[in-house]
Amino acid sequence: MNRVDQARKSVLQAGPQSRGPEEQLRAALEELAELRAREALQSQFLANISHDLRTPLTAVITHAEILRDGILGELTQRQLDSVRGIINGGRQLLSQVGEILTYARGSANQLSLDPTQFDVREVLEQARSLNAPLFEKKHLASRVEVQPDVPLLNADRDKVAHILANLLGNAIDFTPPDGHVWLRASCLVDGGRDCVLIEVADSGVGIAPEHHEMIFQEFAQVDSTPSRPHHGTGLGLTIARKLVDLHGGRIWVESEIGQGSRFFFTIPVEVAG
Amino acid sequence: MAVPDARDGGNAHPRAATSQPHVLVVEDNSLVSDAMRILFEASGNRVSVAGSVAEALGVSANDPADLVLLDLTLPDGDGLEVVAACLARQPEGRSVFVALTGRDDAATRQRCMAAGCRDVLLKPVPARELVARSRSWLPAS
Repeated sequence: MNRVDQARKSVLQAGPQSRGPEEQLRAALEELAELRAREALQSQFLANISHDLRTPLTAVITHAEILRDGILGELTQRQLDSVRGIINGGRQLLSQVGEILTYARGSANQLSLDPTQFDVREVLEQARSLNAPLFEKKHLASRVEVQPDVPLLNADRDKVAHILANLLGNAIDFTPPDGHVWLRASCLVDGGRDCVLIEVADSGVGIAPEHHEMIFQEFAQVDSTPSRPHHGTGLGLTIARKLVDLHGGRIWVESEIGQGSRFFFTIPVEVAG
Repeated sequence: MAVPDARDGGNAHPRAATSQPHVLVVEDNSLVSDAMRILFEASGNRVSVAGSVAEALGVSANDPADLVLLDLTLPDGDGLEVVAACLARQPEGRSVFVALTGRDDAATRQRCMAAGCRDVLLKPVPARELVARSRSWLPAS
């Protein structure tokens, strides 16, 4: 329970004490107001950081796009490839900035849900086509399977896409060439609620059972050998779990070394806004 | 053909001198505003740049823009002050305001829409997408 919730609880529970109920209530309300103000400041602080990081990135990427599109003159093929390198590097950096800010907001309990109605299949197909170049490069087969009884979801579409992107990124990173990644959606009743169960299954190296909990923790990477290709900051699964929790769902993995991995997460069909 | 520029004071040439749509970029980071100028001039617009609320109000007083792309974090205030002042001065004005901000919080988005912005975009926006969208905000040429 975070401090705001604690303060709310003490307001509700303010009872007869040596200081008198009115004074206790006033003190609790003051603390609540102070915490709210601090939350607002924290949100502004994170928004300021977002602005400060995105502004120079905008300069880098947009100027490179101007060169790429030949607006200031045609480029040779090699110049074009170099400029594309700048754009891709810039976009990778942008992606990391986004992850870190999401993590920071998540840690400060400042993430909120923006539910809309959408088709899970669309999100799965979009994730698959966004990663098509990587699938091709590693000769990985990919497939989307959605059970016919899966209903429309009422959830935060961007965040569900974010969870998928992080799981898919890992699947691709940890699956050797000529393997496969499957994306599946089905119905599940979990904890008494109607949910959609989404699965990202790969034929990759697998994860030992003793690491199944640890991989969701901040900055944890199972194998920190420098030679192994790893995915970013180690925040991917931490963030995925945070976003799943925000929806009131669950995330877990089934995997053994050498047996591939199946990551599952549930999203309740009706999410409280 | 010489085109009037915000840094001229914008008051020497009547707007009717050109039939190009007028885009006002309100942004205090010159690396970004230079890129915006290049993009929007290349797609057939007349571009003014303002690096502060005061400059932006000065330009729009003399030379109202068809599209105002607003950064929110300006040295002398909040970009939405420009929207408020323009709408107060010309409630029936045809300027379209679009916030182009690095602030990624929901509260910022809500404030912008409440202030009268047509849309709020988180930068960086891919150049091709920005130009394509601007066509829907600008008068048909």
